[in-house]
Amino acid sequence: MSAASPRYSAWSLLRARLAGEGFWQPLWSGARLKDGYDVVVVGAGGHGLATAYHLARDHGIKRVAVLEKRLVGYGNVGRNTTIVRSNYLLPENHYFYEDSLRRWERLSRDLNYNVMYSPRGVLDLALSDGEMIGLARRGNAMRLAGIDAELLDRPGVMKFAPELAAAGPRRFDIVGGLLQPRGGTVRHDAVAWGYARAASALGVDIIEDCEVQGVRTAAGVATGVETTRGFVGAGRIVFAVAGHTGAVGRMLGLNLPVETHLLQAMVTEPIKPLIGSVLIYVPPHGEVYVTQSDRGGVVMGGFLDGFPSYTREGQWYRLEDVVGAAVALLPQIASLRILRHWAGTNDMTMDGSFIIDRLRHDNVFLNGGWCYGGFKAIPASGAACATFVATGTAPDLIRAHNLGRFASGHLLDERGGGPFPVRQ
Amino acid sequence: MNRLVCPFCGARELEEFLFHKTLPEAGASEYSAVYERTNRLDDSLEHWQHVHGCRAWLEVRRNPSSGDVLEIRMIGGGRN
Ligand SMILES: Cc1cc2nc3c(=O)[nH]c(=O)nc-3n(C[C@H](O)[C@H](O)[C@H](O)COP(=O)(O)OP(=O)(O)OC[C@H]3O[C@@H](n4cnc5c(N)ncnc54)[C@H](O)[C@@H]3O)c2cc1C
Ligand SMILES: [Zn+2]
Repeated sequence: MSAASPRYSAWSLLRARLAGEGFWQPLWSGARLKDGYDVVVVGAGGHGLATAYHLARDHGIKRVAVLEKRLVGYGNVGRNTTIVRSNYLLPENHYFYEDSLRRWERLSRDLNYNVMYSPRGVLDLALSDGEMIGLARRGNAMRLAGIDAELLDRPGVMKFAPELAAAGPRRFDIVGGLLQPRGGTVRHDAVAWGYARAASALGVDIIEDCEVQGVRTAAGVATGVETTRGFVGAGRIVFAVAGHTGAVGRMLGLNLPVETHLLQAMVTEPIKPLIGSVLIYVPPHGEVYVTQSDRGGVVMGGFLDGFPSYTREGQWYRLEDVVGAAVALLPQIASLRILRHWAGTNDMTMDGSFIIDRLRHDNVFLNGGWCYGGFKAIPASGAACATFVATGTAPDLIRAHNLGRFASGHLLDERGGGPFPVRQ
Repeated sequence: MNRLVCPFCGARELEEFLFHKTLPEAGASEYSAVYERTNRLDDSLEHWQHVHGCRAWLEVRRNPSSGDVLEIRMIGGGRN
């Protein structure tokens, strides 16, 4: 086992410079798998790592393991377009995501790790008066909850995002927009690494290359998990496996209200600073949300590919739609080359909102159904899920996000799209 | 998976087709049929439509992990 990662500060950077080799240590130590734990968290994505961190930090539970079938950060936490915001319409969602945004604002300090939260503003663009009414409604709902939201007219949009004014007439032109100034981006890999480092420092065992394949039960409670590295006893189990949430249902003999769909993202070669915020543009021929990374690449994403899949192979036609919408928005980028594109598996729910609840047994918990928007939720989800697991009671912030809502009719259907995962 | 073979039109680009929904297990309750999914990794039974072709409604059985199409036929008959 290697030495723990030192605390970072301006002073430690200076020391590192003087110490030469040997100052920097692995961010999380190579823990050995034990026979049993108080809590086993399955999946070392953002939600699993944050849940483990809060279990150890806030609730003093020391025997915690995170079991990951591949590598820390291999899943969606390292594949997303890094956008964070709390501009949701429904109170059950906007209070939760606002809690998360407030945690993002101080996360670098809490973790002692720079996650590069960049409040550059998230701007939803309206292309018709009808869309402006929809955005005004959402903005008003946010403001009533004390969340920052500004409705911009066309000149306001052009002033905030002058890169849009530089372009000539658009076939689907911009009427206005809804801006959340505190929304922005966070460096996704740093979130996985920062939580892993902080959890490891609190004694959490992070075990990579260990796939959970089943749940062992006795007398109606779970006693542990069957893994590719043998049985691991567990007082409580938390599944945070994102795109593989459906498979967890199968382990427990349940059909869950989720379906796995692919979402793609792509990034161009780096250019000088052009796009100063997060722009979301949905013309009739596609959808694009576009940002510029700190390295200069233009990062783009859009709709789901459109059918259930675990392949992580994005469809060409969707890439075309996304890029088409991006070029309609910002003709300046038309000649850029795409450097990379990739896809991730998203656990889409029947109402587009997430699920944190018990699953079949009293001591088994599900943290999932994050759809294509779970990155921004990581800090709030980790804290709330840990409280639920430690105390046995779901905190108010996530009480509405229970599994029973689909049967009782209390759906959290942000878009009003009906029970079609592909349309959320 | 880049193409589907329509029983009427032959092999066509995937973007001509629209996925509609995943079908429930036989005997599923009404609630389950609407809200739950079996989420098998190797087998998914679905309704698609050849929207930019002959517009036929199709029942497609696919392996969602490999992308292989296992069976495709017109809904209500017309086995290919
Ligand atoms: C292209 C793309 C763009 C996105 N953009 C955004 C965005 O801009 N903003 C936003 O908020 N969200 C975004 N999302 C969604 C967000 O990335 C996800 O909702 C979120 O990361 C999922 O939670 P996670 O980090 O815990 O998942 P993951 O990182 O996928 O973690 C789950 C982990 O579980 C592991 N696992 C699975 N099964 C098992 C098993 N049986 N045993 C052990 N381990 C297992 C996996 O290997 C994986 O590492 C995007 C997603 C994609 C794909
Ligand atoms: Zn046809």
